[in-house]
Amino acid sequence: MTTAPPPASSLRRTLLRWLILPLVALVPLSAAVVYALAVRPALDGLDRALTDTAVALNGILEVHDGQATLPLSAQTLRALRADLVDEVAFVVGDAQGQPLGGDTALLAFAPPLAAGQWRFFNATLRGRHMRAAAYGARCGEAAQVCTILVAESLGKREDAERAVAWAALAAAVLLALSLSLLAVVAVRRGLRPLQRASVDMGSRSLQRLDPIEPASVPREVAPFVTALNDLFARLRLAASAQRAFVEDAAHQLRTPLSTLRVESAQALAQPCPPELQPTLQRLHAAAERGAHLVQQLLTLARADGAALGAGTPLARVDLAALAAAAADDWLHPALAAGQDLGFDLEPAWVDGDALLLRELLGNLIHNAIEHAGAGARITVRTRAEAAHALLQVVDDGRGLPADELPQVWDRFRRGAGAGGLGTGLGLAIVRDIARLHGGDAALQPGTEGSGIAATVTLPCSPEPVANLS
Amino acid sequence: MLILLVEDDQPLAASIAGVLGAQGWRVDASRNGEPVPASLLRDDYDALVLDIGLPGIDGLETLRRVRAQGSRLPVLMLTARDTVEQRVHGLEVGADDYLVKPFAPVELVARLRALTRRHENRVAEVLSVGQLRFDPKALRAWVRDEPVKLSRRECDILQYLMLKAGRVVQREQLVALVPGWSGATSDNALDLLVSRLRTKIEPAGVRLRTVRGLGYLLDAGDGT
Repeated sequence: MTTAPPPASSLRRTLLRWLILPLVALVPLSAAVVYALAVRPALDGLDRALTDTAVALNGILEVHDGQATLPLSAQTLRALRADLVDEVAFVVGDAQGQPLGGDTALLAFAPPLAAGQWRFFNATLRGRHMRAAAYGARCGEAAQVCTILVAESLGKREDAERAVAWAALAAAVLLALSLSLLAVVAVRRGLRPLQRASVDMGSRSLQRLDPIEPASVPREVAPFVTALNDLFARLRLAASAQRAFVEDAAHQLRTPLSTLRVESAQALAQPCPPELQPTLQRLHAAAERGAHLVQQLLTLARADGAALGAGTPLARVDLAALAAAAADDWLHPALAAGQDLGFDLEPAWVDGDALLLRELLGNLIHNAIEHAGAGARITVRTRAEAAHALLQVVDDGRGLPADELPQVWDRFRRGAGAGGLGTGLGLAIVRDIARLHGGDAALQPGTEGSGIAATVTLPCSPEPVANLS
Repeated sequence: MLILLVEDDQPLAASIAGVLGAQGWRVDASRNGEPVPASLLRDDYDALVLDIGLPGIDGLETLRRVRAQGSRLPVLMLTARDTVEQRVHGLEVGADDYLVKPFAPVELVARLRALTRRHENRVAEVLSVGQLRFDPKALRAWVRDEPVKLSRRECDILQYLMLKAGRVVQREQLVALVPGWSGATSDNALDLLVSRLRTKIEPAGVRLRTVRGLGYLLDAGDGT
């Protein structure tokens, strides 16, 4: 398996980018708007506090015979100037602009005012920035307007501005953070059905092409899933057509191959001119190999086929009994090859297709007989371990170079020293069948320094309760 | 030996007839299953070789009809379909053995010989494998017509092995034959018993082989 290159675009990344980047840009903007909206009333409130002082001064202002005076006691003065934070200054000027009391320097900032009119402005008094309120007070005759000016330094205002700014910023940041978090969670949750679907998709193979339930994915993905299901259906059809073709072809080949096999053997047994003998031998060998190949192809087609249990029902099979039954088939070929075929069997139950498992074992024994050479000792072993049933065929024959071991599993791949009836399919079949049963097959150098140990590991099943036949 | 061969593929039928003929056996061939039950009633066949994939009624139906009329004739099925192979293997349909195409001619001959011998041994008074004969009723054995003295246990085991000649007999099956035998101690006793038996019967040309870790195999020594 090769790992796929990383996809060009990520749905999650796109979604997050479009959600979080604007959010980051909008945070300062919203903070600015909140600040602008909130700071105005705060400053207006402070301005109104300034007018209180001016109104109080207006109350103190007295007019006698058209002459305005400001009778300020020292206590009143202290009271008017009292402020925890800011420096407060005030001045009252008469209609001619002459100071009646207070901080004379302040009078320079007096704007022209109509009677009863308020003005607010910033001013710098003796190097100090201040906020000032000016009031046009009626003094004496109708046209006479005295000016009342009250100013204070910007301490409270700056405090208010800072507080509002921090509040706006904090609210915006909090909002941004929680929205980002929500976006991440929402995107993850939203994409979860897709992830599930892709895990499901990843576990699929030619053996598992059943349609994906469209109800299990979001509506937006349903058309995609429907299209995939159509593809699955076509693949299923193609796979089963291919299997049916291989099976049919193999079956059709069997009868003529029988004739070929029988006739070539008969011809070899007849007296014939010596120059024909090698030809007949080659013909016979080819017939034998063709016969074997057809059987292997059929097994492979079945092992490649639909999921286990689809063709023939699963049965609880004892590998030991299977191996014992194989003795009848393989004892004579082993004897003919001058080998000692023996058994070391302990009950090992698995759930499987008995016919396929028999082919698996047959292939392993056949391999051993073909490769181990004359005089070899071949042992079929079954064991039940904790969670596994083991099926082993061990020989002490010629063995195989270590660098050839990984390649022998490939279909139609034959070892350099292979001869005789080998089709190159045997081990591929062994592994296909083992994997179909949820197990695996491995080939190691023999246990005593020579030969090969072929091991098939299958998931173990409990021994059936009533097993007496 | 007279054999009825039912196979619709003409070249293969001719080949099989040739193989069986080379053994000195006579062969009647048929392309269909329908006339088979009647033929079996008319002639005294020793075995039936029956292809499963036949035109008309197939081999399985033919066999069902043959068994329905009470025939216990040994039947060897030929099959090109593994799915059917499994059913036949279960012998639900009453076949005695089956061969999957493409088979080797020696295999065909060996199976037929084993089938007919088992059949003969089943119905015969005296069992025989190669030059070895055994009378289960009288508990007497002959090697090349010379009487051989056997113990009661040797007789039990020999009878079992002869009925299953050509096939592997597991140790457990033999141990079960001897009353009172069980467990590991009986293993050595069985080895000893078989080894004594082997010395007595192998002069007949038969082979009593030990199948390491599994059991024993008695065969006629001629490769069958």
